[in-house]
Amino acid sequence: MGRPVGQTDRLGVVVRAAERLALPAGLALTLAVLAVVFYYPVGSVLVESVVRAGRLTAGPLLSVLSDPFYTGAASSLFAEPGSVPGGFVTWLRAGLPPVTFGLFGFTAYQAALSTVASVLLGSPGAYLLSRFEFRGRRTLRSLTILPFVLPSIMVAVGFLAMFGRNGPLNTALVTLGLGRLDLLFTLEVIVVAHAFYNAPLVTRLVTAAWETVDARRVESARAMGATPFRAFRDVVLPQLLPSLLTAALLTFVFTFMSFPIVLALGGLRLATVEVWLFARVQNLELAEAATLATLETVVTLSLTYLYLRYEARQVRAGSGGAPVPRRPLLDGLRTVRDPARLGLLAYGLLALVVFVGPMASMVLASVTGPDGSLTLEYYRFLVDQQVAETAGTTRPLPAILNSLLFGAGTLLLALPLGVVVSVVATRGGRGSRVAEALLTAPLAVSGVVVGLGLLQTLVFGTTLFGHRLTATGPVAIVLAHAVAAYPFVTRNVTPALGGLDPRLSDAARSLGATRLRALLDVELPLVAAALVAGAAFAFAISVGEFDSTVLLAEGVDSYTMPVALERYIGNRSLGPNLGPATAMGTVLLAVTAASFVVIDRVGGRWEP
Amino acid sequence: MTERGTGGGDGRDPSISNDGDGVELDAVSVAFDDVTALDDVSLSIREGEFFTLVGPSGCGKTTTLRAIAGFEPPDSGTVRIGGRDVTGTPPEDRNTGIVFQSYALFPHMTVRENVGYGLRFRDPPGGASRRDRVDELLDLVDMAGMGDRDPTELSGGQQQRVSLARALAPGPDVLLLDEPLSALDARLRERLRVTVRGIQRELGITTVYVTHDQAEALAVSDRVAVMNAGRIEQVGSPEAVYREPASRFVAEFVGDNNLLDGEVTVLDPPRTTIDGVEVRLPPGTESVAVGESVTLSVRPEVIEVVREGETGADDRTTTLEATVESVEFLGEAYRLHCTWRGHELLVRSDAREPSGGTVLLAFDPADARLVR
Repeated sequence: MGRPVGQTDRLGVVVRAAERLALPAGLALTLAVLAVVFYYPVGSVLVESVVRAGRLTAGPLLSVLSDPFYTGAASSLFAEPGSVPGGFVTWLRAGLPPVTFGLFGFTAYQAALSTVASVLLGSPGAYLLSRFEFRGRRTLRSLTILPFVLPSIMVAVGFLAMFGRNGPLNTALVTLGLGRLDLLFTLEVIVVAHAFYNAPLVTRLVTAAWETVDARRVESARAMGATPFRAFRDVVLPQLLPSLLTAALLTFVFTFMSFPIVLALGGLRLATVEVWLFARVQNLELAEAATLATLETVVTLSLTYLYLRYEARQVRAGSGGAPVPRRPLLDGLRTVRDPARLGLLAYGLLALVVFVGPMASMVLASVTGPDGSLTLEYYRFLVDQQVAETAGTTRPLPAILNSLLFGAGTLLLALPLGVVVSVVATRGGRGSRVAEALLTAPLAVSGVVVGLGLLQTLVFGTTLFGHRLTATGPVAIVLAHAVAAYPFVTRNVTPALGGLDPRLSDAARSLGATRLRALLDVELPLVAAALVAGAAFAFAISVGEFDSTVLLAEGVDSYTMPVALERYIGNRSLGPNLGPATAMGTVLLAVTAASFVVIDRVGGRWEP
Repeated sequence: MTERGTGGGDGRDPSISNDGDGVELDAVSVAFDDVTALDDVSLSIREGEFFTLVGPSGCGKTTTLRAIAGFEPPDSGTVRIGGRDVTGTPPEDRNTGIVFQSYALFPHMTVRENVGYGLRFRDPPGGASRRDRVDELLDLVDMAGMGDRDPTELSGGQQQRVSLARALAPGPDVLLLDEPLSALDARLRERLRVTVRGIQRELGITTVYVTHDQAEALAVSDRVAVMNAGRIEQVGSPEAVYREPASRFVAEFVGDNNLLDGEVTVLDPPRTTIDGVEVRLPPGTESVAVGESVTLSVRPEVIEVVREGETGADDRTTTLEATVESVEFLGEAYRLHCTWRGHELLVRSDAREPSGGTVLLAFDPADARLVR
């Protein structure tokens, strides 16, 4: 009989025992990190909003809810519930004048508008990608991941550059003799920027659903006499609706919590709950900030819960049949006579303006002087900032180095965290449902709330189990980034691990490998591509993260590229105009584009 | 019960442990959520035996194998390998070798690395070097010289040989085979099962084989356990399971069979009436009572097609007048699908030409079995 290797030496016994403990210990560590970096800080913010002087009270929450500034017409519901019927009658008598619902109402309103815009802009893309064949279709399909890795503050700079008074849009309009359009700091530009982010999500989810529609079902409907339109309405649409609703719900949650876009493109004049919350923190009105954070989190968590419930109910229509074949997009003369193809052409132009326009405008603006000539002045400005002696200057090089350093730290932390959660998730049963919930919670809580929680607990110092814990800015930033990034690792690794034949791991174990060795020797090498993709995502998320970083980097030398970018936009005295921000944005674009190339090369995926 | 020898003892591999028993399951139950997969299963598999678990899909045969390997911890009961209680032992410490239907070769390792993987955790038996042990095993499965190939370059049969070599390399106490041949085409399957059986005899290794194919089970095994709905229906030699089915399920599942339900009407000698025809019960079934419902199992090969008047005089023979509905040519014989009073009867005929139309079927009750 083969004697187990290492039975003879003590070290071997210890190693094997350690291997056996590694996975449970890894899981415990993952939960501990999540608890300390996410659940405890966020929980402490929530607690702070309902505890005053050691007593549990709904007072602060009620005072926000009954303040017309926050809830508008709904405030009387909390202030004087008895007056509501009377007020309603008065409103009816007055001939239904417009009502507003304050900050929360506006936040929901802009989120709803953004959701509609995203669905309108995203759906034709799904039609194009799933029903037509053309050169570059696969590339286009993988490009729909791009927004997830583009730093939102940089996208905001792109929109500022494009829609500004002297931006390409107005230049084109003036050239055409149509006059100027002043779109900056309007709701419209915020909604379009949100569509930039979320329409690709709609496209991805709906395309995936469309590709699973069984061609035979459509054909049988047609054979029974249905027109192409009826076949679409009766067979295809019911299969697309769930994915459309899922995408809409996610878009609403994301845009409800949207921060840098609104901050940079709307300012305090068009503030949402998130921006107002950020402003409270900056004014050190932390109690009011906590109250707002609680109310916002209640909204986003409830919506995310709805999303999860809805998604769980979806029966995957795995018909196993062949998908409906794609038609060639370009089909000679017929192309120009087909209204569907002409419509798609118009859509392509619109998409070019919305998606390529801002990025191109930013790069263009970074090398264009006020008089329209080619200039490297803004890049020189960055260099000058670097060598400036003034204290408190936002230097580009530390920002770049910090971003890369935090990105690497995030990667090192998020990768094992994500893999551990993936291992639990692929095991199935109750464990995988818990893992799913653990995974989704960080997505459902806004970055500013996480940042605020971290600020108030780990950064200001906290006592946990009798130990004084204090994390410095960089550590807190990396921890916050890792919590934001590990879901991306898990989303990539879980399907890859789940796709492996479980017998591979079984075979390794019966040959004497511990669970950990089977994972390291057999499973992980086989999902290497997904690991690399997850790592690239984690890196890109960290490099682009703004919401919590901007709070944690406050007043410290640990600012990152996105934070520096925001400072360049926010403080015009630093430079002549938007130029420095666009130059910094171009550098950031280069770094994130490099991450994207890695992701694309190894076939990364991100389906929420 | 007829028992076969337990394989050659002379050519035994010294690396296989000889102490203790083979594998024992004592009242093992396994449930998945609310579904009972194994219900109080007890088995005693002898050292060096080729033991087959056979049954329809979902009967619990693979769960039994996985309980032995350690992948399905039982909810209750005990698993022993070589006399050692391994119920709570993780799979990696049980010293089993397992071969799956899907081969489960590590695609990122060469053939040689696959076979050598288990030797990272267990010393090669007999003090051989790792390299020699891998060569020895590749030679054993007739794959010498293929060590540097990638598993993906190999045919299904070759992959399964490598998988067998990999499972055997560390010198396991038990070899577990989970439908190892089901993914292969029929001819290769028959050839490879002879190879597997030959290697098993040569090494004298205790082997548990899972298959849904009852013919395969009968062909290769020392003993067979027929399983159904998470329980063991019968354990015995292939001959015993085929000839003396212990239950209606076994009688139906193992081999072609005709089952005739009737009621005992006369006791001396015992007879049963099946659809108005009186049929003698086989000898040795005198314990029945009048009015008892019984089932008679009559194998197709014990039924003869006879001419009118040929056997009528013989009181001991049962004759039934039936109609031939269809005929299948099997090569060495014909299989006749007949109907008799609404019952479908299978008859195997060695005649050079098949009979047709109305025929007389005859069988000796001594060749039939009573199934309860």
